Amino acid sequence: MSRTETAGAPVDDAGGDEEFDPVGTLALIAVYFAILVIAWVYIYYIEFLGRDLVVVG
Amino acid sequence: MHIHAYEKIWLAFAIVLILLLLGSVTYGAVGPGVAMVADSEGQIDATALDEDERFAEPRVEQVGENHYAAYVVAYQFGFEPDPIVVPANSRVTLHVTSRDVIHGFEVVGTNANTMVVPGEVSEITVEVGEPQEYGLLCNEYCGAGHHAMEGKLHVVPREEFESSDGGESA
Ligand SMILES: [Cu+2]
Repeated sequence: MSRTETAGAPVDDAGGDEEFDPVGTLALIAVYFAILVIAWVYIYYIEFLGRDLVVVG
Repeated sequence: MHIHAYEKIWLAFAIVLILLLLGSVTYGAVGPGVAMVADSEGQIDATALDEDERFAEPRVEQVGENHYAAYVVAYQFGFEPDPIVVPANSRVTLHVTSRDVIHGFEVVGTNANTMVVPGEVSEITVEVGEPQEYGLLCNEYCGAGHHAMEGKLHVVPREEFESSDGGESA
């Protein structure tokens, strides 16, 4: 686990995983996930399938 | 091993993403029927296309009720026939080969796009809609005139197609 992300952790906590909640990382991943899903839907369903002359055979 | 609850969450995210990816490709194949350029066509002699019954005379011909076949030869630097004329609202199978080097065959702005390899026949089937003029270009560098290598795909009303001799030289 990351030792650099200690913003919310108590200063004296050296090895306690339990209270370590990387909320920032979780939020960042959630945003990244949303971007990926939106990009994928756009690229595949709108840009690719929406174009003319889809190859069907 | 202890796994943090947050870590479980983003592991689940990753799995969902993979399923989404596989799911949409499956949907594409089953729903709209997206297919790949197959290797089902046999090899031909690129240096003797004039003896090949399909490519000696590049043309468009009817092969089914509403199904047309276009036999197209790519060369340095153009496509034959030019324009390729097909009737509106039909199914068109493009058979494309090269008589010299590797070319590309791309109907501009559409998904009809394949590599054209001498000795091989690239076969793609598309459904064309209303009358329209598409540009055609080579997207594989093929020599000094590559930038000028282009053609046309004309989707014309059925009556016009019927009177044009299958698009031989419209
Ligand atoms: Cu070319």
